[in-house]
Amino acid sequence: MELNARIPSGPLAEKWDNHKFSAKLVNPANRRKFKVIVVGTGLAGAAASATLAEQGYKVSTFCIHDSPRRAHSIAAQGGINAAKNYQTDGDSVFRLFYDTIKGGDFRAREANVYRLAQVSNNIIDQCVAQGVPFAREYGGSLANRSFGGAQVSRTFYARGQTGQQLLLGAYSALSRQIHNGGVTMFNRREMMDLVVIDGQARGIITRNLINGNLESHWADAVLLCTGGYGNVYFLSTNAMASNVTAAWRAYKHGAGFANPSFVQIHPTCIPVHGDYQSKLTLMSESLRNDGRVWVPKNKGDKRKPADIPEEERDYYLENKYPSFGNLVPRDVASRNAKEQCDQGKGVGSTGLAVYLDFADAIKRDGEETILRKYGNLFQMYEKITDSSPLEEPMTIYPAVHYTMGGLWVDYNLMTTIPGLFALGECNFSDHGANRLGASALMQGLADGYFVIPTAIGNYFGESSIAPVNDSDEAFINAQQQVGDRLNKLLQNSSGGVGGKVTVDEIHKELGRLLWDNCGMARNKEGLEMALKKLPEIRQKFWDKVYIPGSGSDLNQTLERAGRVADFLEFGEIMIHDALNRAESCGCHLREESQTEENEAKRDDENYSYVSVWEYQGDDVEPKMHKEDLTFEYVTPSQRSYK
Amino acid sequence: MWLLRFSTSSIGKKILMASSGLLLILFLVAHAAGNAAIFFGSNAFQTYADTLHSLPVVVFVFGVGLFAVLIVHIFIGIQLFLQNRKETASRYAVSTKVCENTLASSTMPYTGLLLLLFLLVHVFGFGVNPTDTKVSVLVVNLLGNFFYGLFYLFSFCVLAVHLSHGFWSMLQTFGFNHPRYNDGIMKITYIVPGFFLVFFGAITLYFMTGLGANY
Amino acid sequence: MSNIDLTLQIWRQKNSDALGKLETYTLDKISTDMSFLEMLDVLNEKLTMEGIEPVAFDHDCREGICGMCGAVINGVAHGPEKETTLCQLHMRHFKTGDVLVIEPFRSRAFPIKKDLVVDRSAFDKIIQAGGYVSVNTGGTPDGNAIPISSHIAELAMDAAACIGCGACVASCPNGAAMLFTSAKISQLCLLPQGHAERKKRALSMVETMDKEGFGNCTNLRECEAVCPKSISIRNIARLNREFVRAAFSEG
Repeated sequence: MELNARIPSGPLAEKWDNHKFSAKLVNPANRRKFKVIVVGTGLAGAAASATLAEQGYKVSTFCIHDSPRRAHSIAAQGGINAAKNYQTDGDSVFRLFYDTIKGGDFRAREANVYRLAQVSNNIIDQCVAQGVPFAREYGGSLANRSFGGAQVSRTFYARGQTGQQLLLGAYSALSRQIHNGGVTMFNRREMMDLVVIDGQARGIITRNLINGNLESHWADAVLLCTGGYGNVYFLSTNAMASNVTAAWRAYKHGAGFANPSFVQIHPTCIPVHGDYQSKLTLMSESLRNDGRVWVPKNKGDKRKPADIPEEERDYYLENKYPSFGNLVPRDVASRNAKEQCDQGKGVGSTGLAVYLDFADAIKRDGEETILRKYGNLFQMYEKITDSSPLEEPMTIYPAVHYTMGGLWVDYNLMTTIPGLFALGECNFSDHGANRLGASALMQGLADGYFVIPTAIGNYFGESSIAPVNDSDEAFINAQQQVGDRLNKLLQNSSGGVGGKVTVDEIHKELGRLLWDNCGMARNKEGLEMALKKLPEIRQKFWDKVYIPGSGSDLNQTLERAGRVADFLEFGEIMIHDALNRAESCGCHLREESQTEENEAKRDDENYSYVSVWEYQGDDVEPKMHKEDLTFEYVTPSQRSYK
Repeated sequence: MWLLRFSTSSIGKKILMASSGLLLILFLVAHAAGNAAIFFGSNAFQTYADTLHSLPVVVFVFGVGLFAVLIVHIFIGIQLFLQNRKETASRYAVSTKVCENTLASSTMPYTGLLLLLFLLVHVFGFGVNPTDTKVSVLVVNLLGNFFYGLFYLFSFCVLAVHLSHGFWSMLQTFGFNHPRYNDGIMKITYIVPGFFLVFFGAITLYFMTGLGANY
Repeated sequence: MSNIDLTLQIWRQKNSDALGKLETYTLDKISTDMSFLEMLDVLNEKLTMEGIEPVAFDHDCREGICGMCGAVINGVAHGPEKETTLCQLHMRHFKTGDVLVIEPFRSRAFPIKKDLVVDRSAFDKIIQAGGYVSVNTGGTPDGNAIPISSHIAELAMDAAACIGCGACVASCPNGAAMLFTSAKISQLCLLPQGHAERKKRALSMVETMDKEGFGNCTNLRECEAVCPKSISIRNIARLNREFVRAAFSEG
């Protein structure tokens, strides 16, 4: 596997412009001859579909939901970053670039991140023109806030629903192209496999989720905009349908998978309340601006929070990190919460939660002020937990939130399979080992609106693409294999239930294994154990999983089973990757790699690279390749929050 | 044609319903103003009626106009009723209304039909007049009949119910909905039907109770 | 936290063509901390282990924003709690012995696909007819080029909060989609960006709405009452104005 990042020449600030000039173009009249498949309709997918159709390409877009408007980008609350510097508080493209690289703990590519910062400004203009109702100042100019501990106010927002509004903006642009005939939309389709012909990505096999039909679709290029794989942990803040299947199929056809163990764990989620729980709900990080995090000093203290006197409370973040206190970065806050709970000081019925207390803030600022800032969050919390944060402290616990790892792509967002592109959370490119708040939306839209048009034109311009057809042998074979796999999933179901397991039971078992051993803190021993345990779970799944119903019908259990089957394979490269990376970095702590003060210790000497995994065959250990990261414009520094 | 497209679109039909409703309310206001003469004695009332009839062109134009408006209101009303019934026809095993003010709003077609019945009775009673009885006498004869009067009272109640949704609904359809004025609009919504109920009801009661026996 | 025992009557229908009927299931020891959909998950796990096909229902984000979930619980779309999607409805609002009748969102424009799953693509068609500002990617003016008062931005945001779940249609006795359509039209007619094509938009979105088989609005307000995002019928009033203005002056 050759990892050529194809970073354009020239100084950092000129690379993107140089690239746009040197990239091959496709004559507007010729564009309609090229067919592009877009899988997924989140920010990246909807934006790419709309933009490519506007430019004249023939686009077929696929989504797993009943409507392209449902993709999980919709759930992002906080906002979107851009280097507009409207507040004149010292922001610039370079600062956004620097913050993103540093936030990613120096594990991302300079050129990509710089381009991201550059196009961030275009994104805001584009969204405003589409009618996205961003928050405004009284004078009518766009409002900004500081987010996730950033030193400048560069985050644009639309109440607590920024993701929704940006997605609806992209969805409306997509809808316009569907109306104009530029995009053919396929709803309720799941991508089951990628079709590669002569080394080029030439199409996909989909399953119509309503009637179970398998369909072949050919194209000249395939764009995967299929999001992240956080659901491998079963419990995450991801939507229920989020999965790794599309990316995993690509991997099995030879696309490199980069940094699969880089997973972001968000510190302020509503804790798990029972084993029936299906997903976790995130609450905005801004709560930590006023809330104080604490646990009882004594292990197993089951008293009500109000009955625990001040001297028996441990405000562990404030004590450990006096200068940042409760505002330490996400990974530090998450790790410490887990540490406290592991020591037996966790609160709540499960012991897997810590308090986030607003009592002091209410005393200081008054109830009204606090409600004005966090009213809707308090309401949401109360709706779910039936407890008012005004009366007793909130309970919070970390949860899997975002996956920085993904398909390896070059500067043009192309994977190691020519003609296969990965956009948004599906790729690995911009966030290194940790993503800054309000940057996910930025990346999805940057890839979709501004990066992919140049990249696609360049690919079509420089490659020779032979004509293919849905009825070619490659498609027939691929469809056959997909059908066989579905039948294999259903094979245990013919004889009835007796002693069998459900899809969710297996998924929970997998999730628990990864959360315990490949979560925010890892060690060699645990990872090796997990690597041994995983094939056993996988075997159990294939031997015993029971799926009622048939494959020729709407069958949600079968859909889930297919996704879990892929997670069961994918988990393995996650663990391999975590095992290989014997340094603490970004969101994860490798227990063997700590400073004397028990803080994460990054190892630039040995691990300043992207680890890219190549498929070698089922039951064969994947092969790791390295893309070395070089930093010309920033100097990697060790983070310190003491 | 744009007008046809407009009047067959769902919002166009709403607008026509509201506009014809508004005209009917205005007619009721004029009717009420004319009938106010009743309270000034039988001569005053008869004079008003005779004056009106001495202007056949005016009566004809208003009559035809009113008829047209009524036809539009009834025709579209029935069309909406039939179209919507396709949807409503016991969709859910359990049906629950979440909203208040549903008696009036969900019975609009029925109260409308009752009002049509009343209209026919009223027109046949007062309009078709083969014996050439003076209207000031006719009113005593007809409304002096207890059951006839009771039917009138009942119909005015129906009118009030119809208007208690209709008037607000008309304003909403015309696009009047603003938080600053909505409280006021809600009040007018009860004042308008209340006024008609009290006014027309008073005329009926005046004759029913025998107060107007010597009219 | 406590547990409750429930009787569920759920609409089961194999596919669009099949006839459906209500089936009764009992569920014991349901934790009141569960969400409604988690309760259905528990039911489905139970049904699966009994060899019965689980109840198909749409859901995704489970945090009340994607608009994918929805069913009619005892006659009320999204259940008894106000401003709440089904996924955010918790079982503490029910008690032991309750009988819950769970039916899909019904409307002529929303054909049932299976059990509680309906096809809401008619909503997409309405948006495709004009629920956008016709700008291509790139070449847009600076975000601050047009000042928009914060009041207008807030009003537009009120309307834009629609999640497209379809509860308005499901609860409207006439099956009208006015609240949905008006929310998008309001957002775009309030903001200056949407002014250029406001007339064309109003006409073509309403035309599509009618064509897709939605009913006529008769101002019954049920939509507003069940809307999980409290979209106001003020938007419908605004749509009426937009439509009339467009119908009488377009072209």
